[in-house]
Amino acid sequence: MSARPVVAPPAPWAFPAPVEHVLDNGLRVLVHDLPGQYVLSLRLVVPASLADEPRDREGVSAMTARLLDEGTAQHTSEEFAELMERHGMVLGAGVSDGGLMVDVDVPQAHLATAARLLTAALAEPVFPEGEVRRILRTRQAEIEQERASAGHRGARELARTLWDDHDRASRPSAGSSDTIGAITRADLVERHARSLGPRGATLVLAGALAGIPVTDVLAGTLGSWTAPDHVPAQPARPPVPAADRARVVVVDRPGAVQTEILVACPGPDRSTPHGWAPHPVLAFVLGGSPSARLDAVLREQKGYTYGVRAGFRPRVAGGSFVTAGSVRTEVTGDALAILLGILDTARDGFTDAELRAGVDYVAKTAPGRYATADAVADETAALALEGLPLDFTTRNLEAVRALGRDDLDAAYRRTATGEWTVVLVGDAARVLPQLQGRVPGEVTTVAL
Amino acid sequence: MPLDYPIHRRTLPNGLRVVVSPDHTVPNVTVNLWVGVGSRHEQPGRTGFAHLFEHLMFQGSRGVRSGEHFEALMAEGGRLNATTWFDRTNYFETVPTGALELALWLEADRHGHLLAALTQENLDNQRDVVKEEKRQRYDNQPYGNALVDVYAAVFPEGHPYHHPTIGSMADLDAAGVDDVHAFFRRHYAPDNTVLTLCGDIEPEAGFALVERHFGPLTARAEAPRPTLPQLEPLEAPVRVVRREQVPNDRVHVAFRLPVDGSDELVAAMVALDCLAGLSTSRLVRRLVRREQVAVGAHATAWGFVDGVSLGFVVLDVAPGADPDRLEDAMVEELERLAADGPTDAELEASIAQSERGWLSALASQEDRADMISRFALLHDDPQMVNTHLDRMRAVTPERVVEATRRWLAPHSRAVVAYLGDEAPAEAVA
Repeated sequence: MSARPVVAPPAPWAFPAPVEHVLDNGLRVLVHDLPGQYVLSLRLVVPASLADEPRDREGVSAMTARLLDEGTAQHTSEEFAELMERHGMVLGAGVSDGGLMVDVDVPQAHLATAARLLTAALAEPVFPEGEVRRILRTRQAEIEQERASAGHRGARELARTLWDDHDRASRPSAGSSDTIGAITRADLVERHARSLGPRGATLVLAGALAGIPVTDVLAGTLGSWTAPDHVPAQPARPPVPAADRARVVVVDRPGAVQTEILVACPGPDRSTPHGWAPHPVLAFVLGGSPSARLDAVLREQKGYTYGVRAGFRPRVAGGSFVTAGSVRTEVTGDALAILLGILDTARDGFTDAELRAGVDYVAKTAPGRYATADAVADETAALALEGLPLDFTTRNLEAVRALGRDDLDAAYRRTATGEWTVVLVGDAARVLPQLQGRVPGEVTTVAL
Repeated sequence: MPLDYPIHRRTLPNGLRVVVSPDHTVPNVTVNLWVGVGSRHEQPGRTGFAHLFEHLMFQGSRGVRSGEHFEALMAEGGRLNATTWFDRTNYFETVPTGALELALWLEADRHGHLLAALTQENLDNQRDVVKEEKRQRYDNQPYGNALVDVYAAVFPEGHPYHHPTIGSMADLDAAGVDDVHAFFRRHYAPDNTVLTLCGDIEPEAGFALVERHFGPLTARAEAPRPTLPQLEPLEAPVRVVRREQVPNDRVHVAFRLPVDGSDELVAAMVALDCLAGLSTSRLVRRLVRREQVAVGAHATAWGFVDGVSLGFVVLDVAPGADPDRLEDAMVEELERLAADGPTDAELEASIAQSERGWLSALASQEDRADMISRFALLHDDPQMVNTHLDRMRAVTPERVVEATRRWLAPHSRAVVAYLGDEAPAEAVA
């Protein structure tokens, strides 16, 4: 056989820098011209806080987002949908802890129509009573779907256990059955008026833009968006961890053939003063490939799982470090003990080989991970919402390349204190006996 | 806008079809291989084997130790994986340009010399992993086996598409090392494979690198069997009802469709869009928006090459609504579409959404490479990445009517309904 080829080092690369404008109404615009990207991606982000939702109307922000394109001053919901589809446009809207995000993808030729319809959705949604009822009912059905899915149900229980009961982060961002049931059209109208506006908001546009008068198109559409009652949001605050978060909760799913395991602790956001760079590398080394510490044992050696992933989940403020995967019911206790052992042992430090592999993976995959209009637009919109500088991505990659073992070790020890929140979604009758002697403290069991 | 992604093709003496599509916008190259074997080639008693085999391709080969394929490429900035489907198995990595030759070397070693490293231990381990994959994606999910029921209801016993790619637990258990040897010898060969390079590489340099590493592989003797003739629509409705704990009732209505690559399939896809593939489709307007007896209506069509394709509509029933009423509405809308054809607005929306979907699918080098391999392997025409949209735009209302009448006749439907448990309430003492 031929000799193993030698790899040439990659060429230098930087995350594309956008051109920045500010429209007359205060809307910040960031434009990436990316030749060859024929589908344009628009991302609109407005900082807003979920923490100021009324406790008995939680989910009102998410429902407001979902109703933006369900009827405007000029078009009924069906007319609006038809206009979008005839122009090859797709629109989605949702919320995170830091604000509202609207995503639009549209072929190059229809940018002007897309910008006009996006402006209408932002500026003049009318929340027709019938559509409001339909969207709220759809959310209720979605809540039932989420309850039936081990992964979603586990994520909900994890939030409830990890964060303090008084913190908004402990409850679903799109609302719970009782709060959704209480929302009225008036709540949505008010939420829209107060939380959405061009001041503080950012529009990102990415794609092949040669020959398109971008500034004129945007000034003539989104530049006309006004929101006199908009109250710019307070900066997001990190969620407060629950004092009793280091415990084990079993969500009973009778008959389940697998147990969904989630293990977590609070973690940093991307603006952490200690530097974000070590965190994606740690995620790769622990749970980002079949050779990572977790899957090397749980998948490739034991055959207990299709895969266990570990990762940092930064919010706009604060975040978490979450390890998750499914194992067959009968090995749940052994798998959990091994998993916790790997996470705890990692506090003893990482190897040079792990450092190298993780740094190379994170740094050298960047050009490919940010190669399309939607990936570039997503990242720039995230930077805007998180209040990070536009060269953050490139500078972070430089910091990744400069990491040493001590940086990895210190970052991991700062987050992984050994106080784990453990949620198991599985057949409690078969899982509970396996936990005896394998986990410290009381185990709480809750219904699905 | 006519598409003009560059396509350069060459066939090596051993039969390997190579396509190079230069794109220098990103300093990466995607290596994408499609092998002409999928679950449709599996033998009775060995369902799930093509997919289990795909897992073994990461467990080492003549010059590569188990796990090294992933490790070596990820450490150079590679993103990689493999998937198995009814008609094919694909293997792919996107790497920085400087690591292209390493990727080809690794691929050639496993595509030529896998068996040298195969062990019972690796087989047993990956069998366990695949069984966990089946539990995670099918058995532990609400409605997780619904499509398995759809395949079995739409295609006759023994037909290549009657069973799912994941296979059955019993068949996975039965697979032995001998099966792996036989399968590799039968299906893995350069003359049953397409290799596409898409990205930062020029055609001649790409062909030379592929020739260097894949040129020494030997062709197999056995010719593939010809594909089956077109399977006609079902002659009478088929119905499968499952009672399970599900969050809401869900009804799947499925049809046999014309084979992949035919104009008739494109027309049938537009018909499905008119029914439930768009947010303004007839069933969405009627059942979700107006009558509100459904919380969702969606349509899907998958093109297959072995004599038939599959189309289905999924209706999520609103709490308290009658699933039969939704099915009746679907029959009415099918009859209406067959009688009157699509409106101009429907046709325009279907084409516009397909166009965006198509351009989005071609936006990244890795997905574009996958499409090129697909058309090269299944239709011997990688230029279809550039020409498919023209075909789509040429669909007329008349063709949609013909396709609806022939392929989406109500009596040719297979219905798979997942309905909530009607467990009697517990007696109160």
